[in-house]
Amino acid sequence: MHKAMLNVVAKSLEEFKSSLEKKFGDKIHNVEVRGRVAGKQDEVSFYDVWISCRKDDLEELVEFLFSFDFPIFHVMSGDDIGNAVLLNYHFSLFSGAGRGKRIGVVLSVEVPKEDLVMPSLYDKIPGIEYSEREMHEMLGVSFNGLPNQSLVFLPENWDEKVHPWRRDDSGLSPKHIRELS
Amino acid sequence: MALGENKTYTIPIGPVHVGLKEPITAWLQVDGERIVDVRIRPGAIHRGIEYMARERNPIQVIYLAERICGICSFAHIISFVRAVEDAAGIPVPSRAKYIRTILLELERIHSHILWAGVACYTFGYDSAFNLGMLLREKVMDVLEAMTGNRVNYGVGTVGGVRRDITPKVADAIKEMLDYYNREFSYFYNAATEDPIVKARMRDIGVLSYEDAVRYCAVGPTARASGLRTDLRWSSPYEAYGDLEVEPIVPQDYFGKARGDIFDRFFVRVMEVYQSLEIIKKCMDGLPEGPIMHEPKPAKLLNILKDADGVGQSSIEAPRGDDTHVIRLKKGEENVTWWKVRAPTYANAMSWPIMFKNQEIADAPLIINSIDPCISCMERVLVVDEKGSSSVATKEELIKMCRDKTRRLMRR
Repeated sequence: MHKAMLNVVAKSLEEFKSSLEKKFGDKIHNVEVRGRVAGKQDEVSFYDVWISCRKDDLEELVEFLFSFDFPIFHVMSGDDIGNAVLLNYHFSLFSGAGRGKRIGVVLSVEVPKEDLVMPSLYDKIPGIEYSEREMHEMLGVSFNGLPNQSLVFLPENWDEKVHPWRRDDSGLSPKHIRELS
Repeated sequence: MALGENKTYTIPIGPVHVGLKEPITAWLQVDGERIVDVRIRPGAIHRGIEYMARERNPIQVIYLAERICGICSFAHIISFVRAVEDAAGIPVPSRAKYIRTILLELERIHSHILWAGVACYTFGYDSAFNLGMLLREKVMDVLEAMTGNRVNYGVGTVGGVRRDITPKVADAIKEMLDYYNREFSYFYNAATEDPIVKARMRDIGVLSYEDAVRYCAVGPTARASGLRTDLRWSSPYEAYGDLEVEPIVPQDYFGKARGDIFDRFFVRVMEVYQSLEIIKKCMDGLPEGPIMHEPKPAKLLNILKDADGVGQSSIEAPRGDDTHVIRLKKGEENVTWWKVRAPTYANAMSWPIMFKNQEIADAPLIINSIDPCISCMERVLVVDEKGSSSVATKEELIKMCRDKTRRLMRR
Protein backbone atom coordinates (compact mmCIF):
# COMPACT_ATOMS: atom_id res chain seq x y z
CA MET A 1 0.00 0.00 0.00
CA HIS A 2 1.23 3.48 -0.81
CA LYS A 3 1.93 6.00 1.88
CA ALA A 4 -1.16 8.11 2.48
CA MET A 5 0.48 11.48 2.55
CA LEU A 6 0.34 14.59 0.45
CA ASN A 7 3.68 15.67 -0.90
CA VAL A 8 4.59 19.17 0.26
CA VAL A 9 7.22 19.67 -2.44
CA ALA A 10 5.89 19.88 -5.97
CA LYS A 11 7.61 18.95 -9.19
CA SER A 12 7.22 21.31 -12.11
CA LEU A 13 5.02 20.54 -15.09
CA GLU A 14 8.11 20.18 -17.31
CA GLU A 15 9.64 17.57 -14.99
CA PHE A 16 6.38 15.67 -14.86
CA LYS A 17 5.94 15.78 -18.61
CA SER A 18 9.48 14.76 -19.49
CA SER A 19 9.52 11.79 -17.11
CA LEU A 20 6.10 10.78 -18.45
CA GLU A 21 7.41 10.80 -22.01
CA LYS A 22 10.63 9.09 -21.01
CA LYS A 23 8.86 6.28 -19.20
CA PHE A 24 5.90 5.71 -21.49
CA GLY A 25 6.95 7.05 -24.88
CA ASP A 26 4.71 5.51 -27.53
CA LYS A 27 2.44 3.79 -25.03
CA ILE A 28 0.55 7.01 -24.47
CA HIS A 29 -0.97 9.16 -27.15
CA ASN A 30 -2.51 12.62 -27.15
CA VAL A 31 -0.84 14.27 -24.20
CA GLU A 32 -2.55 17.63 -23.99
CA VAL A 33 -1.43 20.31 -21.54
CA ARG A 34 -3.90 23.05 -20.76
CA GLY A 35 -2.84 26.15 -18.89
CA ARG A 36 -5.78 27.47 -16.88
CA VAL A 37 -5.88 31.21 -16.40
CA ALA A 38 -7.04 33.37 -13.51
CA GLY A 39 -6.95 36.94 -12.27
CA LYS A 40 -7.00 40.31 -13.97
CA GLN A 41 -4.01 39.57 -16.19
CA ASP A 42 -5.28 36.15 -17.33
CA GLU A 43 -2.05 34.55 -16.15
CA VAL A 44 -1.71 30.79 -16.19
CA SER A 45 -2.29 29.74 -12.58
CA PHE A 46 -2.20 25.93 -12.90
CA TYR A 47 -2.21 23.13 -15.47
CA ASP A 48 -4.46 20.27 -16.49
CA VAL A 49 -2.80 17.38 -18.33
CA TRP A 50 -5.01 15.12 -20.44
CA ILE A 51 -3.45 11.76 -21.28
CA SER A 52 -4.96 9.04 -23.48
CA CYS A 53 -3.65 5.58 -22.80
CA ARG A 54 -4.41 1.95 -23.47
CA LYS A 55 -6.47 -0.01 -21.01
CA ASP A 56 -3.54 -2.30 -20.14
CA ASP A 57 -1.27 0.63 -19.26
CA LEU A 58 -3.64 2.32 -16.84
CA GLU A 59 -2.36 0.66 -13.68
CA GLU A 60 1.24 1.41 -14.57
CA LEU A 61 0.33 5.03 -15.21
CA VAL A 62 -1.37 5.28 -11.82
CA GLU A 63 1.74 3.78 -10.20
CA PHE A 64 3.71 6.44 -12.05
CA LEU A 65 1.47 9.14 -10.54
CA PHE A 66 2.13 7.65 -7.09
CA SER A 67 5.85 8.21 -7.61
CA PHE A 68 5.15 11.98 -7.51
CA ASP A 69 2.42 12.32 -4.90
CA PHE A 70 -0.70 10.58 -3.61
CA PRO A 71 -3.02 11.15 -6.60
CA ILE A 72 -6.16 12.65 -5.09
CA PHE A 73 -9.05 11.19 -7.05
CA HIS A 74 -11.87 13.50 -8.11
CA VAL A 75 -14.25 11.46 -10.23
CA MET A 76 -14.57 9.23 -13.22
CA SER A 77 -16.51 10.49 -16.23
CA GLY A 78 -17.52 8.38 -19.16
CA ASP A 79 -19.56 7.85 -22.27
CA ASP A 80 -20.66 5.21 -24.74
CA ILE A 81 -18.70 5.99 -27.94
CA GLY A 82 -20.00 3.25 -30.19
CA ASN A 83 -17.82 0.13 -30.07
CA ALA A 84 -16.16 1.15 -26.80
CA VAL A 85 -16.89 2.83 -23.51
CA LEU A 86 -14.76 5.86 -22.75
CA LEU A 87 -13.60 6.34 -19.17
CA ASN A 88 -11.81 9.45 -17.91
CA TYR A 89 -10.07 9.19 -14.54
CA HIS A 90 -9.66 12.65 -13.02
CA PHE A 91 -6.78 13.00 -10.54
CA SER A 92 -4.85 15.79 -8.86
CA LEU A 93 -1.16 15.82 -8.07
CA PHE A 94 0.47 18.22 -5.61
CA SER A 95 -2.82 19.50 -4.22
CA GLY A 96 -1.12 20.22 -0.90
CA ALA A 97 2.22 21.46 -2.18
CA GLY A 98 1.76 25.20 -2.38
CA ARG A 99 0.02 27.98 -4.21
CA GLY A 100 -0.64 27.19 -7.87
CA LYS A 101 1.25 23.89 -7.66
CA ARG A 102 -1.62 21.51 -8.35
CA ILE A 103 -1.52 19.59 -11.62
CA GLY A 104 -4.78 18.08 -12.77
CA VAL A 105 -4.18 14.74 -14.48
CA VAL A 106 -6.84 13.07 -16.58
CA LEU A 107 -6.28 9.52 -17.83
CA SER A 108 -8.58 8.59 -20.72
CA VAL A 109 -9.12 4.95 -21.54
CA GLU A 110 -11.30 3.34 -24.18
CA VAL A 111 -12.70 0.02 -22.99
CA PRO A 112 -13.85 -2.17 -25.91
CA LYS A 113 -17.42 -3.38 -25.57
CA GLU A 114 -16.55 -7.05 -26.08
CA ASP A 115 -14.46 -6.97 -22.90
CA LEU A 116 -15.89 -4.38 -20.52
CA VAL A 117 -13.54 -5.11 -17.64
CA MET A 118 -11.06 -2.76 -15.99
CA PRO A 119 -8.65 -3.38 -13.13
CA SER A 120 -9.99 -1.77 -9.96
CA LEU A 121 -7.89 0.91 -8.29
CA TYR A 122 -9.70 0.40 -4.97
CA ASP A 123 -6.68 -1.19 -3.26
CA LYS A 124 -4.54 1.82 -4.00
CA ILE A 125 -7.16 4.57 -3.67
CA PRO A 126 -10.23 3.52 -1.64
CA GLY A 127 -11.82 6.89 -2.46
CA ILE A 128 -12.48 5.58 -5.96
CA GLU A 129 -15.20 3.18 -4.79
CA TYR A 130 -18.32 5.19 -5.66
CA SER A 131 -17.01 6.15 -9.08
CA GLU A 132 -16.19 2.57 -10.04
CA ARG A 133 -19.59 1.43 -8.81
CA GLU A 134 -21.23 4.29 -10.68
CA MET A 135 -19.48 3.42 -13.95
CA HIS A 136 -20.48 -0.19 -13.36
CA GLU A 137 -24.18 0.56 -13.06
CA MET A 138 -24.38 3.45 -15.54
CA LEU A 139 -22.13 2.14 -18.32
CA GLY A 140 -21.76 -1.57 -17.56
CA VAL A 141 -18.00 -1.64 -17.01
CA SER A 142 -16.97 -4.11 -14.30
CA PHE A 143 -13.95 -3.58 -12.13
CA ASN A 144 -11.72 -6.47 -11.25
CA GLY A 145 -10.91 -6.42 -7.56
CA LEU A 146 -13.63 -4.04 -6.40
CA PRO A 147 -15.17 -5.74 -3.33
CA ASN A 148 -18.61 -4.14 -3.53
CA GLN A 149 -20.07 -4.02 -7.05
CA SER A 150 -23.66 -3.40 -6.00
CA LEU A 151 -25.74 -0.49 -7.18
CA VAL A 152 -24.89 2.84 -5.70
CA PHE A 153 -27.15 5.50 -7.19
CA LEU A 154 -29.86 3.52 -8.97
CA PRO A 155 -32.95 2.30 -7.07
CA GLU A 156 -32.94 -1.02 -5.19
CA ASN A 157 -35.29 -2.69 -7.67
CA TRP A 158 -33.42 -1.56 -10.79
CA ASP A 159 -32.81 -4.13 -13.54
CA GLU A 160 -29.03 -4.40 -13.48
CA LYS A 161 -28.88 -5.30 -17.16
CA VAL A 162 -30.01 -1.79 -18.04
CA HIS A 163 -27.22 0.79 -18.08
CA PRO A 164 -28.73 4.29 -18.30
CA TRP A 165 -25.78 6.05 -19.93
CA ARG A 166 -25.30 3.52 -22.73
CA ARG A 167 -26.42 4.57 -26.20
CA ASP A 168 -27.01 1.02 -27.48
CA ASP A 169 -29.58 -1.69 -26.71
CA SER A 170 -28.59 -1.96 -23.09
CA GLY A 171 -29.43 1.70 -22.52
CA LEU A 172 -32.73 3.17 -21.42
CA SER A 173 -35.94 2.44 -23.27
CA PRO A 174 -38.95 4.81 -23.22
CA LYS A 175 -40.56 2.83 -20.39
CA HIS A 176 -37.76 3.92 -18.05
CA ILE A 177 -38.27 7.60 -18.70
CA ARG A 178 -41.02 9.54 -17.06
CA GLU A 179 -41.65 12.86 -18.76
CA LEU A 180 -42.98 15.55 -16.49
CA SER A 181 -45.60 17.64 -18.32
CA MET B 1 -22.74 -6.96 23.78
CA ALA B 2 -26.50 -7.00 23.75
CA LEU B 3 -27.69 -9.13 26.68
CA GLY B 4 -24.40 -10.97 26.77
CA GLU B 5 -24.89 -12.32 23.28
CA ASN B 6 -22.47 -11.92 20.43
CA LYS B 7 -24.98 -10.10 18.33
CA THR B 8 -25.38 -6.71 16.74
CA TYR B 9 -28.47 -4.90 15.51
CA THR B 10 -28.97 -2.85 12.38
CA ILE B 11 -30.38 0.65 12.42
CA PRO B 12 -30.99 2.32 9.08
CA ILE B 13 -30.86 6.12 8.98
CA GLY B 14 -32.40 7.66 5.90
CA PRO B 15 -33.13 7.57 2.93
CA VAL B 16 -33.20 11.22 2.42
CA HIS B 17 -34.27 14.53 1.15
CA VAL B 18 -34.34 15.83 -2.41
CA GLY B 19 -32.26 18.88 -1.57
CA LEU B 20 -29.02 16.94 -1.88
CA LYS B 21 -27.54 15.40 -4.96
CA GLU B 22 -26.49 12.52 -2.75
CA PRO B 23 -29.44 11.28 -0.76
CA ILE B 24 -28.02 8.79 1.69
CA THR B 25 -29.13 5.87 3.78
CA ALA B 26 -26.78 4.77 6.55
CA TRP B 27 -27.20 1.26 7.97
CA LEU B 28 -25.65 1.33 11.42
CA GLN B 29 -24.57 -1.97 12.99
CA VAL B 30 -24.97 -1.37 16.70
CA ASP B 31 -23.91 -3.24 19.78
CA GLY B 32 -25.92 -1.60 22.54
CA GLU B 33 -25.28 2.11 22.12
CA ARG B 34 -22.00 1.60 20.29
CA ILE B 35 -21.78 1.69 16.48
CA VAL B 36 -19.56 -1.13 15.24
CA ASP B 37 -19.99 -0.86 11.50
CA VAL B 38 -21.75 1.22 8.90
CA ARG B 39 -22.97 0.63 5.41
CA ILE B 40 -23.86 3.64 3.29
CA ARG B 41 -26.36 3.42 0.45
CA PRO B 42 -26.94 6.61 -1.55
CA GLY B 43 -29.30 6.84 -4.47
CA ALA B 44 -32.74 7.02 -2.93
CA ILE B 45 -33.53 9.99 -5.11
CA HIS B 46 -31.02 9.96 -7.92
CA ARG B 47 -32.72 12.32 -10.33
CA GLY B 48 -30.71 11.50 -13.43
CA ILE B 49 -29.78 15.14 -13.91
CA GLU B 50 -26.72 14.22 -15.97
CA TYR B 51 -28.91 12.19 -18.31
CA MET B 52 -31.44 15.01 -18.58
CA ALA B 53 -28.68 17.35 -19.74
CA ARG B 54 -28.28 15.35 -22.94
CA GLU B 55 -31.49 16.92 -24.21
CA ARG B 56 -30.55 20.48 -23.34
CA ASN B 57 -28.11 23.06 -24.64
CA PRO B 58 -25.38 24.37 -22.29
CA ILE B 59 -27.32 27.53 -21.43
CA GLN B 60 -30.35 25.48 -20.41
CA VAL B 61 -28.13 23.16 -18.38
CA ILE B 62 -26.96 26.14 -16.29
CA TYR B 63 -30.43 26.26 -14.76
CA LEU B 64 -30.43 22.51 -14.29
CA ALA B 65 -27.01 22.67 -12.60
CA GLU B 66 -28.28 25.40 -10.32
CA ARG B 67 -30.92 23.03 -9.02
CA ILE B 68 -28.48 20.32 -7.97
CA CYS B 69 -28.18 22.02 -4.61
CA GLY B 70 -30.12 24.82 -2.97
CA ILE B 71 -27.29 26.10 -0.81
CA CYS B 72 -24.24 25.90 -3.06
CA SER B 73 -26.17 26.46 -6.29
CA PHE B 74 -23.77 29.16 -7.44
CA ALA B 75 -20.75 26.94 -6.86
CA HIS B 76 -22.34 24.30 -9.09
CA ILE B 77 -23.08 26.64 -11.96
CA ILE B 78 -19.66 28.25 -11.79
CA SER B 79 -18.05 24.84 -11.90
CA PHE B 80 -20.32 23.93 -14.80
CA VAL B 81 -19.73 27.09 -16.83
CA ARG B 82 -16.00 26.85 -16.19
CA ALA B 83 -16.04 23.35 -17.66
CA VAL B 84 -17.93 24.68 -20.69
CA GLU B 85 -15.48 27.57 -21.01
CA ASP B 86 -12.63 25.06 -20.84
CA ALA B 87 -14.19 22.87 -23.56
CA ALA B 88 -15.10 25.78 -25.84
CA GLY B 89 -12.18 28.11 -25.07
CA ILE B 90 -14.33 31.05 -24.01
CA PRO B 91 -12.57 33.84 -22.06
CA VAL B 92 -14.14 35.60 -19.06
CA PRO B 93 -13.83 39.37 -18.51
CA SER B 94 -11.96 40.42 -15.35
CA ARG B 95 -14.93 42.14 -13.75
CA ALA B 96 -17.02 38.99 -14.14
CA LYS B 97 -14.27 36.95 -12.46
CA TYR B 98 -14.38 39.27 -9.47
CA ILE B 99 -18.16 39.25 -9.26
CA ARG B 100 -18.13 35.45 -9.44
CA THR B 101 -15.61 35.33 -6.63
CA ILE B 102 -17.66 37.70 -4.47
CA LEU B 103 -20.78 35.60 -5.02
CA LEU B 104 -18.91 32.36 -4.30
CA GLU B 105 -17.66 33.80 -1.01
CA LEU B 106 -21.07 35.19 -0.06
CA GLU B 107 -22.42 31.72 -0.64
CA ARG B 108 -19.68 30.22 1.51
CA ILE B 109 -20.56 32.59 4.38
CA HIS B 110 -24.21 31.65 4.00
CA SER B 111 -23.46 27.92 3.89
CA HIS B 112 -20.99 27.88 6.79
CA ILE B 113 -23.14 29.98 9.15
CA LEU B 114 -26.17 27.88 8.31
CA TRP B 115 -24.23 24.68 8.94
CA ALA B 116 -22.68 25.87 12.19
CA GLY B 117 -26.10 26.93 13.46
CA VAL B 118 -27.71 23.65 12.47
CA ALA B 119 -24.87 21.68 14.10
CA CYS B 120 -25.58 23.50 17.37
CA TYR B 121 -29.29 22.82 16.94
CA THR B 122 -28.62 19.11 16.43
CA PHE B 123 -27.27 18.72 19.93
CA GLY B 124 -29.77 21.05 21.51
CA TYR B 125 -27.86 24.33 21.75
CA ASP B 126 -30.76 26.40 20.50
CA SER B 127 -29.38 29.80 21.57
CA ALA B 128 -26.39 29.36 19.23
CA PHE B 129 -28.70 28.05 16.51
CA ASN B 130 -30.92 31.12 16.74
CA LEU B 131 -27.90 33.38 16.80
CA GLY B 132 -26.60 31.67 13.67
CA MET B 133 -29.91 32.03 11.86
CA LEU B 134 -30.05 35.69 12.85
CA LEU B 135 -26.54 36.29 11.50
CA ARG B 136 -27.26 34.43 8.27
CA GLU B 137 -30.12 36.77 7.37
CA LYS B 138 -27.66 39.55 6.57
CA VAL B 139 -25.84 37.63 3.86
CA MET B 140 -29.17 36.46 2.45
CA ASP B 141 -30.27 40.09 2.22
CA VAL B 142 -27.12 40.98 0.33
CA LEU B 143 -27.55 38.03 -2.04
CA GLU B 144 -31.11 39.14 -2.64
CA ALA B 145 -30.06 42.74 -3.26
CA MET B 146 -27.41 41.56 -5.70
CA THR B 147 -29.33 38.91 -7.63
CA GLY B 148 -33.00 39.23 -6.77
CA ASN B 149 -33.14 35.80 -5.14
CA ARG B 150 -32.24 34.30 -1.79
CA VAL B 151 -31.36 30.92 -3.31
CA ASN B 152 -30.85 29.82 -6.96
CA TYR B 153 -29.63 33.23 -8.02
CA GLY B 154 -29.78 32.64 -11.78
CA VAL B 155 -26.96 35.11 -12.47
CA GLY B 156 -24.21 32.93 -13.89
CA THR B 157 -23.69 32.42 -17.60
CA VAL B 158 -21.04 31.02 -19.90
CA GLY B 159 -18.34 33.67 -20.27
CA GLY B 160 -19.41 35.94 -17.43
CA VAL B 161 -22.21 36.88 -15.07
CA ARG B 162 -25.62 38.41 -15.74
CA ARG B 163 -25.80 40.96 -12.92
CA ASP B 164 -23.38 43.75 -12.18
CA ILE B 165 -22.50 45.19 -8.80
CA THR B 166 -24.26 48.55 -8.65
CA PRO B 167 -23.19 51.28 -6.20
CA LYS B 168 -26.24 50.41 -4.08
CA VAL B 169 -25.20 46.76 -3.88
CA ALA B 170 -21.62 47.77 -3.13
CA ASP B 171 -22.92 49.76 -0.14
CA ALA B 172 -24.95 46.76 1.02
CA ILE B 173 -21.87 44.54 0.84
CA LYS B 174 -19.81 47.09 2.75
CA GLU B 175 -22.45 47.31 5.43
CA MET B 176 -22.57 43.51 5.64
CA LEU B 177 -18.81 43.32 6.13
CA ASP B 178 -19.01 45.83 8.98
CA TYR B 179 -21.92 43.92 10.49
CA TYR B 180 -20.13 40.56 10.47
CA ASN B 181 -16.84 41.97 11.68
CA ARG B 182 -18.79 43.43 14.60
CA GLU B 183 -21.29 40.65 15.34
CA PHE B 184 -19.83 37.32 14.24
CA SER B 185 -17.50 37.05 17.23
CA TYR B 186 -20.56 36.61 19.50
CA PHE B 187 -21.44 33.44 17.66
CA TYR B 188 -17.81 32.36 17.50
CA ASN B 189 -17.40 32.77 21.27
CA ALA B 190 -20.78 31.27 22.14
CA ALA B 191 -20.10 28.22 20.00
CA THR B 192 -16.40 27.52 20.47
CA GLU B 193 -15.88 28.51 24.12
CA ASP B 194 -18.78 26.54 25.55
CA PRO B 195 -17.64 23.46 27.50
CA ILE B 196 -20.70 21.42 26.50
CA VAL B 197 -20.07 22.17 22.83
CA LYS B 198 -16.55 20.89 23.26
CA ALA B 199 -17.78 17.78 25.09
CA ARG B 200 -20.18 16.99 22.24
CA MET B 201 -17.70 17.60 19.43
CA ARG B 202 -14.19 16.92 20.69
CA ASP B 203 -12.83 13.50 19.68
CA ILE B 204 -16.18 12.47 18.16
CA GLY B 205 -16.38 11.23 14.57
CA VAL B 206 -12.64 11.26 14.03
CA LEU B 207 -11.18 10.99 10.53
CA SER B 208 -7.41 10.56 10.59
CA TYR B 209 -5.04 12.30 8.19
CA GLU B 210 -4.17 9.03 6.43
CA ASP B 211 -7.80 8.03 5.96
CA ALA B 212 -8.71 11.49 4.69
CA VAL B 213 -6.01 11.14 2.01
CA ARG B 214 -6.90 7.55 1.09
CA TYR B 215 -10.62 8.21 0.89
CA CYS B 216 -9.97 11.49 -0.94
CA ALA B 217 -11.94 13.65 1.48
CA VAL B 218 -12.46 17.23 0.35
CA GLY B 219 -13.05 20.73 1.68
CA PRO B 220 -13.45 21.54 5.39
CA THR B 221 -13.70 17.80 6.15
CA ALA B 222 -10.22 17.22 4.69
CA ARG B 223 -8.74 20.36 6.20
CA ALA B 224 -10.05 19.45 9.66
CA SER B 225 -8.07 16.21 9.35
CA GLY B 226 -4.94 18.26 8.74
CA LEU B 227 -4.71 18.17 4.94
CA ARG B 228 -3.40 21.50 3.76
CA THR B 229 -5.52 21.63 0.63
CA ASP B 230 -7.76 24.27 -0.82
CA LEU B 231 -8.34 24.62 -4.54
CA ARG B 232 -8.45 28.40 -4.16
CA TRP B 233 -4.81 28.10 -3.09
CA SER B 234 -3.44 25.05 -4.92
CA SER B 235 -4.99 25.95 -8.28
CA PRO B 236 -6.30 29.52 -8.27
CA TYR B 237 -9.25 30.27 -10.53
CA GLU B 238 -11.35 33.39 -11.20
CA ALA B 239 -10.13 36.27 -8.99
CA TYR B 240 -8.22 33.98 -6.62
CA GLY B 241 -5.32 34.34 -9.06
CA ASP B 242 -4.85 37.85 -7.63
CA LEU B 243 -5.58 36.95 -4.00
CA GLU B 244 -3.55 35.10 -1.43
CA VAL B 245 -5.83 32.50 0.14
CA GLU B 246 -4.24 30.19 2.68
CA PRO B 247 -5.95 26.92 3.61
CA ILE B 248 -7.31 27.00 7.16
CA VAL B 249 -6.09 23.95 9.05
CA PRO B 250 -6.46 23.27 12.79
CA GLN B 251 -2.74 22.53 13.34
CA ASP B 252 -2.01 26.22 12.71
CA TYR B 253 -4.24 27.12 15.68
CA PHE B 254 -4.03 24.21 18.12
CA GLY B 255 -0.66 22.69 17.22
CA LYS B 256 -2.24 19.56 15.77
CA ALA B 257 -5.27 18.47 13.80
CA ARG B 258 -7.50 15.93 15.51
CA GLY B 259 -9.91 15.49 12.62
CA ASP B 260 -12.94 15.43 14.91
CA ILE B 261 -16.24 17.26 14.62
CA PHE B 262 -14.91 20.21 16.61
CA ASP B 263 -12.12 20.71 14.10
CA ARG B 264 -14.63 20.57 11.25
CA PHE B 265 -16.71 23.15 13.10
CA PHE B 266 -13.70 25.34 13.80
CA VAL B 267 -12.43 25.27 10.20
CA ARG B 268 -15.81 26.40 8.90
CA VAL B 269 -16.14 29.18 11.46
CA MET B 270 -12.66 30.50 10.63
CA GLU B 271 -13.45 30.30 6.92
CA VAL B 272 -16.25 32.78 7.46
CA TYR B 273 -13.66 35.34 8.58
CA GLN B 274 -11.50 34.40 5.61
CA SER B 275 -14.41 34.91 3.20
CA LEU B 276 -15.12 38.35 4.67
CA GLU B 277 -11.54 39.31 3.96
CA ILE B 278 -11.67 37.96 0.39
CA ILE B 279 -14.88 39.89 -0.32
CA LYS B 280 -13.29 43.07 1.01
CA LYS B 281 -10.24 42.61 -1.22
CA CYS B 282 -12.42 41.87 -4.26
CA MET B 283 -14.51 44.98 -3.65
CA ASP B 284 -11.38 47.10 -3.28
CA GLY B 285 -9.82 45.71 -6.45
CA LEU B 286 -12.99 45.36 -8.53
CA PRO B 287 -11.93 46.10 -12.14
CA GLU B 288 -14.10 48.08 -14.54
CA GLY B 289 -15.31 46.68 -17.83
CA PRO B 290 -17.84 44.31 -19.36
CA ILE B 291 -19.35 41.45 -17.36
CA MET B 292 -20.03 39.08 -20.25
CA HIS B 293 -17.94 37.77 -23.11
CA GLU B 294 -21.02 37.56 -25.32
CA PRO B 295 -24.19 39.24 -24.04
CA LYS B 296 -26.44 37.94 -26.85
CA PRO B 297 -27.66 34.43 -25.95
CA ALA B 298 -28.30 33.41 -29.58
CA LYS B 299 -24.75 34.34 -30.57
CA LEU B 300 -23.34 32.57 -27.53
CA LEU B 301 -25.29 29.42 -28.41
CA ASN B 302 -23.78 29.56 -31.90
CA ILE B 303 -20.28 29.73 -30.44
CA LEU B 304 -21.10 26.76 -28.21
CA LYS B 305 -22.52 24.81 -31.15
CA ASP B 306 -19.18 25.17 -32.92
CA ALA B 307 -17.19 24.03 -29.92
CA ASP B 308 -15.71 20.57 -29.81
CA GLY B 309 -13.98 19.10 -26.78
CA VAL B 310 -14.05 17.96 -23.19
CA GLY B 311 -13.78 20.45 -20.35
CA GLN B 312 -13.17 19.99 -16.67
CA SER B 313 -13.48 22.28 -13.71
CA SER B 314 -12.81 21.73 -10.03
CA ILE B 315 -13.62 24.57 -7.68
CA GLU B 316 -13.72 24.95 -3.92
CA ALA B 317 -17.42 24.95 -3.03
CA PRO B 318 -18.41 25.56 0.62
CA ARG B 319 -18.34 21.79 1.26
CA GLY B 320 -15.23 21.11 -0.78
CA ASP B 321 -14.08 20.29 -4.27
CA ASP B 322 -16.94 20.45 -6.76
CA THR B 323 -15.98 18.88 -10.08
CA HIS B 324 -17.85 19.12 -13.36
CA VAL B 325 -16.81 17.50 -16.64
CA ILE B 326 -18.54 18.20 -19.91
CA ARG B 327 -18.33 17.08 -23.54
CA LEU B 328 -19.44 19.30 -26.38
CA LYS B 329 -19.54 18.07 -29.98
CA LYS B 330 -19.19 20.31 -33.00
CA GLY B 331 -22.48 20.80 -34.80
CA GLU B 332 -24.56 19.59 -31.89
CA GLU B 333 -26.63 22.02 -29.92
CA ASN B 334 -27.02 19.84 -26.85
CA VAL B 335 -24.55 18.72 -24.26
CA THR B 336 -23.16 15.30 -25.26
CA TRP B 337 -22.49 14.19 -21.72
CA TRP B 338 -21.95 15.79 -18.37
CA LYS B 339 -20.56 14.48 -15.10
CA VAL B 340 -21.07 16.15 -11.74
CA ARG B 341 -19.13 15.26 -8.62
CA ALA B 342 -20.53 17.23 -5.71
CA PRO B 343 -18.39 17.36 -2.55
CA THR B 344 -20.60 15.02 -0.55
CA TYR B 345 -20.01 12.28 -3.14
CA ALA B 346 -16.37 12.30 -2.02
CA ASN B 347 -16.91 12.88 1.68
CA ALA B 348 -19.61 10.22 2.07
CA MET B 349 -16.97 7.53 1.57
CA SER B 350 -15.27 8.68 4.78
CA TRP B 351 -18.48 8.33 6.80
CA PRO B 352 -18.06 4.66 7.76
CA ILE B 353 -14.71 5.49 9.38
CA MET B 354 -16.13 8.40 11.34
CA PHE B 355 -18.97 6.28 12.73
CA LYS B 356 -16.91 3.41 14.13
CA ASN B 357 -17.05 3.04 17.92
CA GLN B 358 -19.28 6.07 18.35
CA GLU B 359 -22.62 6.21 20.15
CA ILE B 360 -25.96 6.22 18.32
CA ALA B 361 -26.71 9.58 19.95
CA ASP B 362 -23.71 11.02 18.11
CA ALA B 363 -24.83 9.67 14.72
CA PRO B 364 -26.89 12.74 13.76
CA LEU B 365 -23.95 15.00 14.54
CA ILE B 366 -21.49 12.81 12.64
CA ILE B 367 -23.75 12.70 9.61
CA ASN B 368 -24.12 16.45 9.91
CA SER B 369 -20.42 17.09 10.35
CA ILE B 370 -19.51 16.71 6.69
CA ASP B 371 -22.34 19.17 5.94
CA PRO B 372 -24.90 17.22 3.96
CA CYS B 373 -28.59 18.01 4.47
CA ILE B 374 -30.00 17.34 7.95
CA SER B 375 -33.33 16.38 6.40
CA CYS B 376 -31.73 13.03 5.58
CA MET B 377 -32.84 12.20 9.12
CA GLU B 378 -36.48 12.46 8.17
CA ARG B 379 -37.32 8.74 8.49
CA VAL B 380 -35.53 6.22 10.65
CA LEU B 381 -36.46 2.58 10.97
CA VAL B 382 -35.41 1.12 14.31
CA VAL B 383 -35.33 -2.66 14.58
CA ASP B 384 -35.50 -3.68 18.25
CA GLU B 385 -34.21 -6.84 19.93
CA LYS B 386 -37.44 -8.78 19.41
CA GLY B 387 -37.14 -8.26 15.69
CA SER B 388 -40.17 -6.00 15.43
CA SER B 389 -39.66 -2.68 13.78
CA SER B 390 -40.95 0.81 14.35
CA VAL B 391 -40.36 4.05 12.54
CA ALA B 392 -38.61 6.74 14.56
CA THR B 393 -39.07 10.25 13.31
CA LYS B 394 -36.45 12.92 12.94
CA GLU B 395 -37.82 14.50 16.16
CA GLU B 396 -37.24 11.33 18.16
CA LEU B 397 -33.70 10.94 16.91
CA ILE B 398 -32.92 14.57 17.61
CA LYS B 399 -34.42 14.10 21.08
CA MET B 400 -31.96 11.26 21.71
CA CYS B 401 -29.13 13.51 20.64
CA ARG B 402 -30.34 16.33 22.87
CA ASP B 403 -30.91 14.08 25.86
CA LYS B 404 -27.24 13.24 25.75
CA THR B 405 -26.39 16.93 26.01
CA ARG B 406 -28.74 17.27 29.00
CA ARG B 407 -27.06 14.31 30.69
CA LEU B 408 -23.67 15.92 30.17
CA MET B 409 -24.91 19.21 31.59
CA ARG B 410 -26.16 17.53 34.78
CA ARG B 411 -22.77 16.10 35.54
